[in-house]
Amino acid sequence: MILRLPFAIRSALPSPSLPLHRRPIRSPPASALSSLPPRPRQEIPLFLRPLAHSAARSDLDAFRRWAKSLALTAAPGIAAAADGGPDADHLIRELSWLVQDATSEPEVGDEVRLRVGLEELYRLWRERIEKRRPFQYLVGCEHWRDLVLVVREGVLIPRPETELLVDMVAEVEGFQEGLWADMGTGSGAIAVGIGRLLGVRGKVFATDLSPDAVEVARFNVERYGLKDKVEIREGPWFEPLQDVKGKLAGLVSNPPYIPSSHISGLQAEVGWHEPRLALDGGKDGTDYLLHLCEGSASALKPGGFFAFETNGDKQSEFIADFISTMWGNFFENVETVLDFAGIKRFVTGVRR
Amino acid sequence: MAARALFRWALLPSPKRLAPPLLRTPRSRLTLAPIEAFSSSTSTTNSATNYLRLTDEELMALCDIDTFKASGPGGQHRNKRESAVRLKHRPTGIVAQAAEDRSQHKNRASALARLRKLLALEVRKVIDLNDYTPPTELLQILPAKSTIRGSDVGPQIGPNNPKFALGMQALLDLIYAVEGSVSEAAKILGLSTGALSRLILSDDSLRMSVNGLRTSKGMRPLK
Ligand SMILES: C[S@@+](CC[C@H](N)C(=O)[O-])C[C@H]1O[C@@H](n2cnc3c(N)ncnc32)[C@H](O)[C@@H]1O
Repeated sequence: MILRLPFAIRSALPSPSLPLHRRPIRSPPASALSSLPPRPRQEIPLFLRPLAHSAARSDLDAFRRWAKSLALTAAPGIAAAADGGPDADHLIRELSWLVQDATSEPEVGDEVRLRVGLEELYRLWRERIEKRRPFQYLVGCEHWRDLVLVVREGVLIPRPETELLVDMVAEVEGFQEGLWADMGTGSGAIAVGIGRLLGVRGKVFATDLSPDAVEVARFNVERYGLKDKVEIREGPWFEPLQDVKGKLAGLVSNPPYIPSSHISGLQAEVGWHEPRLALDGGKDGTDYLLHLCEGSASALKPGGFFAFETNGDKQSEFIADFISTMWGNFFENVETVLDFAGIKRFVTGVRR
Repeated sequence: MAARALFRWALLPSPKRLAPPLLRTPRSRLTLAPIEAFSSSTSTTNSATNYLRLTDEELMALCDIDTFKASGPGGQHRNKRESAVRLKHRPTGIVAQAAEDRSQHKNRASALARLRKLLALEVRKVIDLNDYTPPTELLQILPAKSTIRGSDVGPQIGPNNPKFALGMQALLDLIYAVEGSVSEAAKILGLSTGALSRLILSDDSLRMSVNGLRTSKGMRPLK
């Protein structure tokens, strides 16, 4: 697919370094690490780098064969860990995406132009398999809705389920001209998704406590030419939104919702590499969700809409019940909404 | 709540047993039956005879959708792109899928576009040539020189336009009605045989469908 960037890639980058990597929360076992050379700082997502390298087609093919066999060899071990990690088919699909991002359109001839050296591709794939480093961090992006969002360590990789939050906003009458907030914006996914649909008077405030998230979100907002539509603000939940209190047409958030006790058993790609700040929702996982629901009462204007992502069936039901019983005089039409897998993933409602 | 309506298709409603208002044609083995045979006693929505006229949402509601399986908790727990989307249109059993993109959003859109095309190609309506006026959708895909095409029809819609499927479907209905004779269809559409052939050849699946019919009737395929 072809993404037409709203402006030149180079100018979008303040400097050649998106400063990288906070340390992962928990490191993979030392045995996995020891064989790897130290990772250089990733500067620019793979797909945005110039085609400054090249390799013989036969050498690229040899890389593919090697990478495939590494994946096939590792797959049984990953399956045995039973943490929901990728199977061989999935890894092989990722491999083709890696090559896709590293090369340009199908090229004819014996030389293939590359965005990284071949040695770097070997190194990246080894990290994918041996350290379970998420594919999206290797290539520095995630395809989400019709967007290609830049991500890096320190920032949550946006999930496919979350795509629906944008659709829910787009269903709200008159949403185009309203003021919206995406709290805990991470990579800016939801805010950029909404920002692209807004009219001239519409605006999204995207907030996050994490400086990494703020930086990456800012990058994505600029990359899509949305500086006028999406305003990034750093700080905890409602704090950066004091000046628009009671004026918001809608609030959306995908707050950390995993119960603390589940964190240690997460899929390695998630637990070892994604920021705990983005995942851990306290004892029952509902600490932030409840805080957001409560704060919505004063942040939203009358008739304002909220939609929050949750951990699934039980949590959604709990939150929906809690709002109806405790704050029933503030909100109406409180309900749960299914994701594509049929799980009650979201809670939505309207400020009276 | 308004947001709800959008996701109705995701709930996989159990199929309303609609008698199929239109025939599905398995490739060139076409069985034509009078349209009355399909008037349904069980359904009031029978007048919506053309699936292609449904909105994306309405069409989705008639489909079973397989995306990622509901294995595990999903959401923040999981890092796995399972972006392939497979749509099965329950009334006809036609299946369309897309997996080539990393984003599920796009795969859904491509699967749906593919489904529309397959429906256009495979679902035939019987038309009565004695009382036939080409529908607007068909006029819209005809070249401007067609003598039956008024200037109010607007510019010609090409194969890359999503609206092409509706016109293509109506064109195939006509070509089936004239049993594959391009010259006869051309006459009805106010075109030269050459001009209609060129239109048919402009889209691969349209060409293949027409040629399948012609071959089954012992006619030469168009080239
Ligand atoms: C699950 S992530 C969601 C990121 C993004 N919205 C998405 O859907 O991909 C949760 C986000 O909330 C942020 N966060 C955690 N605690 C916060 C707080 N107290 N105030 C604001 N944001 C917070 C994290 O930094 C993280 O970016």
